[in-house]
Amino acid sequence: MTRYVMVIDQRRCIGCHSCTVACRTWNKLPLDIIYNPVVTEGAQGTWPNVHKSWTPLLCMHCENPECVPCCPSGASQQDEDGTVWVDPKKCLSCKVCVNACPYGMRDASHLENRMHRFVRKCTFCRDKRQLDPDAQPYCVLTCHQKARVFGDLDDPNSEVSKLIGSVKTERLFEEFGTEPQIYYIPELGGKA
Amino acid sequence: MTEISKTATGLKGLMCPDTESTEVDIHADGVEMIKSLCYFCHANCGVLAYVKDGDVIKIEGDPNYSSQGGLCCRGTSALLHVNHPARINHALKRVGEKGEGKWEQIPYDQAIQEVADKLNQIKAESGAEAVASAGGTTRTDDWARRRFLNQFGTPNGFHNALLCWIPTFMAETCVAGWSPFETDLGGAKSLILWGMNPGASTLGGMHGYTDLQKAGLKIIMVDPRYSETASKADLWLPLRPGSDAALALAMLNAIIYGGMADYDFIGQWCDGYDELMEHIAEYTPEWAAPITWLTPEQIRQAAAMYAMNKPGCIQWGCTWDQIGRASTTGSHAIALLRAVTGNLDVPGGDGMPGPALNFLTDEELELNECLPEEQKAKQISRYKLTSWPGYQIISDTARRTWGKTLPTEWFCEAHGPSVFKAILTGDPYQVRALICNATNPVNSYGDAKMTLAAIKAVEFLVVVDYWMTPTALFADYVFPAAGALERPTIVTHYGATDSLMGGRRAIQPKYDRHTDMVFWRKLGLACGQDPANWPWETEEEAYYEVLKGIGLPVSNYNEFVDNVRMYYPPLHQSKFESNGGFWTPSGKVELNSTILRQLGFPGMPTYIGTIENPIDTPELLDEYPLVLTTGGGFMPYHHSEHFQMQGIRYLYPDPYFSINPEKAEELGIEYGDWCWIETRRGRIKMRANVEPEVAPEVIFAPRGWWFPERDGSADLNNPFGCLESNVNVLTSVDEEHCDPMGGSWANRGLLCKVYKCTELDHEYKAEDTQFSIPGSVAEPGIHVKPSEQPLAREPIPFEMPQYPDGEVPEGYDWVWQNNTLYQKGTNYKLDASGWLINPRNKAYYDAYTGWRYDANDECLVDDETGKRYTMDREEIKYMGAYRLYPGATAPFEVPEQLVWKEEGYATLPGRDELIYDANSGWLIDPETNVYHDAYYGWAYDPNANCLIDMETGKRYTMEYQEIAE
Repeated sequence: MTRYVMVIDQRRCIGCHSCTVACRTWNKLPLDIIYNPVVTEGAQGTWPNVHKSWTPLLCMHCENPECVPCCPSGASQQDEDGTVWVDPKKCLSCKVCVNACPYGMRDASHLENRMHRFVRKCTFCRDKRQLDPDAQPYCVLTCHQKARVFGDLDDPNSEVSKLIGSVKTERLFEEFGTEPQIYYIPELGGKA
Repeated sequence: MTEISKTATGLKGLMCPDTESTEVDIHADGVEMIKSLCYFCHANCGVLAYVKDGDVIKIEGDPNYSSQGGLCCRGTSALLHVNHPARINHALKRVGEKGEGKWEQIPYDQAIQEVADKLNQIKAESGAEAVASAGGTTRTDDWARRRFLNQFGTPNGFHNALLCWIPTFMAETCVAGWSPFETDLGGAKSLILWGMNPGASTLGGMHGYTDLQKAGLKIIMVDPRYSETASKADLWLPLRPGSDAALALAMLNAIIYGGMADYDFIGQWCDGYDELMEHIAEYTPEWAAPITWLTPEQIRQAAAMYAMNKPGCIQWGCTWDQIGRASTTGSHAIALLRAVTGNLDVPGGDGMPGPALNFLTDEELELNECLPEEQKAKQISRYKLTSWPGYQIISDTARRTWGKTLPTEWFCEAHGPSVFKAILTGDPYQVRALICNATNPVNSYGDAKMTLAAIKAVEFLVVVDYWMTPTALFADYVFPAAGALERPTIVTHYGATDSLMGGRRAIQPKYDRHTDMVFWRKLGLACGQDPANWPWETEEEAYYEVLKGIGLPVSNYNEFVDNVRMYYPPLHQSKFESNGGFWTPSGKVELNSTILRQLGFPGMPTYIGTIENPIDTPELLDEYPLVLTTGGGFMPYHHSEHFQMQGIRYLYPDPYFSINPEKAEELGIEYGDWCWIETRRGRIKMRANVEPEVAPEVIFAPRGWWFPERDGSADLNNPFGCLESNVNVLTSVDEEHCDPMGGSWANRGLLCKVYKCTELDHEYKAEDTQFSIPGSVAEPGIHVKPSEQPLAREPIPFEMPQYPDGEVPEGYDWVWQNNTLYQKGTNYKLDASGWLINPRNKAYYDAYTGWRYDANDECLVDDETGKRYTMDREEIKYMGAYRLYPGATAPFEVPEQLVWKEEGYATLPGRDELIYDANSGWLIDPETNVYHDAYYGWAYDPNANCLIDMETGKRYTMEYQEIAE
């Protein structure tokens, strides 16, 4: 089995937004859609005792996604490897899934004709992986800092397995029970 | 196109093309991968371009290049850039009034000829120096520009170089003989990142720092702002903007008086340590504390961290060259920090690559010999370190010590703002034509209001650019430039290092776009320059010429990129040991620089404050209580570029300045409010980013802003909003505000005030755009001619020592520092033994003939003709490859069975065609190189290991036994 996950090393991220731009460029996103925003936290504190970190976000490709069972047309679906995606041909743009996602990681573009509108989200570059099974998502490839690591959690030799097994990682809003599959290595003042 | 589809899902119907896979298949037939380089900043990350049918369909980072596959926002946008609808694609000729925006599209070559005719006319009427050329940052092959300017005869080429590395480079070269800019971080234990923010400018570098930090490298960050990089540093020194010189001097004091200097290195390799110790005594951390807003403990801690974690590196930062009159003082002090800690050119320290000795440097492509001496003297610059007077001394020293020198592009230039002032005032003479290549001076040079006035006023303006910029708007001719992917790239770091990297052009330039080398070449030829001086039609030809000397197994430039791509010579550190000294005139690290003293500057860094600061100009504090720092770079833009590209502009759509929440509350400013930032020279509008990343008294305003989405011609006072949010309205280029050594103008450490835009005072008005010389918001117009303004420091008189033995011998230059003669032209050193020494290969040359001494053969060699001479300077004759010794006697023992010929060789009687080789004891036929034995003259057959008598055909063993057939 294959289970795709991403590890995001916040100790390395410096908030350059390269991932956001690479994603938008190669997935040809309309201007009002961002799959992977980078949230700047800070500078927080009182000068000069301040702190700053960045949290890159994207679809969490949850183990128990809220956004899949709620879809009335069957457009929102999950592959066996865990990739959650939307089939534009089936999507009615009813946005039930948009409201269901606890992470706010999907939306339809308002710049498109209403009749052509469909819900979009990060697919771990599913189109790309269909052409080349070993391909890495664009956000991973473009990252100078190598803060994003993508791979198969079910493969014990993959870099993600090793990282998750050796470093303390966190997941966002685990309390929702959706089993998100994006693992964060928080900064906590440690040096990468 | 839409269609109703009746698919398995039944009703769902409307399908449009963009619901199909957006993925580009790079493995499809006919797709070629080309190794290219990004060209949107100096980092030049590796790019793989996928080309199909002559068009790039996709790019990605090259994982096998030093950037390890990373590409930032700018790099990823290369395809948006190539195909952007706002790009200039054809040569444009102005048909309306200047700035009206009415253009006629004309053929490129016609435009070139018209420009050339006008330039030649101006040259005939006013002299070549009336033509100047402004450049931007490296988006160009600048040797080509200098090649044109030198042949044209004007010394007035310039860049923003004085804000970017060059004064630092020159000061460092005065101290140690080259800039120690190539950090060997793999072996370093500490690193100071000073006034730079690689986390938002050079991401490839940031990746390296992060990895090394994980391995234990200590990073000290000097930045008034809690930048992206500072957030990851081990020690952050948030100094007052512009007080870098005080911090550097205090750290120097702390190291010297804290006993943390490297005394072995100082004792063996440095000159003037005692003088420096005395000079630096007053600059204690306690002295610096109120100037820098740091505590003495912080300064001592930083000094100790750097000096005790050796080897260590100091990475150069742009800030050093942007502090106005205090600029070079600071970088000079930092150069001494490296020296007294022994971190120069050692493993793990700051590497001094020197010029490339095996490939052509940029300087060798510039044709500097074409520029007459009298034209050099006309260069518009009062700042000697970075113009011809200083360059000449530094360059001569480099030729005498390295054997090659620095390019004149960047390192020897006119002072940009002074040229703009010359356009407006005619002081020192009228500049009539300006060629702007890859630059938008209104946004990138200091005092934007004055610069815009000069751009409007210049009689003839030519612009080469990607876009219609505020500068291009006023041009008479605009030429379209070919950009990344449309041109090959070679990275030689301004011609100041010995490595090079390359990228191919992915596609031929689109439309009528041309690269800058082609522009200058065409313009040169159209001006009547000798075609022999423009031998290369394409960059590929020129670049191949550059790297030929390395001797790589490649036959053209594209092959080099495909197979080599990055050329690094074998790492050679501690070169000063093998060289027998540093590359200064005295051969030592000059802690009290002789070159600087000769130029009339202090030989040791002597503190000078920024032009406006709370200590030296307290009278300004009532009106302007805040300290402003400008010029910082930020993602996703580079200088004044990329504002057109929606795909990245959405990340940062409006200009934001940073203000501390405490101060913002005091001023009633909230996040996002539009505010005025005002200095004595003018005011601009930006939105407030209320964040504790700066001290309460500090304002950080980013550079470059203009608004290409506006109609430029609608408001010619402020075209494209180029003054409205442009920090250069706030900076100063007045003579006394510029660095008296290097000419850097004042971008950092200025005093300002900030207030909210109100309903009544919200619009940028015409009076906000009025220029003034010297810069002043109160009195528009020209008040003082630039040449009448004092410099920040009067030159210190220097008396040149006299040659001790009367007249300097003809054909030689005398260097007073080491009391040595150097041959004019070659710059070879005249040794005490009477021989000349070539600094490049340390070979000895005959002082009379210039022939090289060959120690193996005990003879002299004329490298030009390849002829060899005896030590008595008589030509050595050869028979084939074998030397003849004409005369009656042989210089070696001749076996008795042989005879000595007058021509100078021994042979068997009757076998004159054979020559006896005393080393091997064989007779050799010099034509065929066949060996013959010295008794019978039988030829040796190496395959059968036997001898053959060629006359009889009989074969013999090596013991002369006949071999039976």
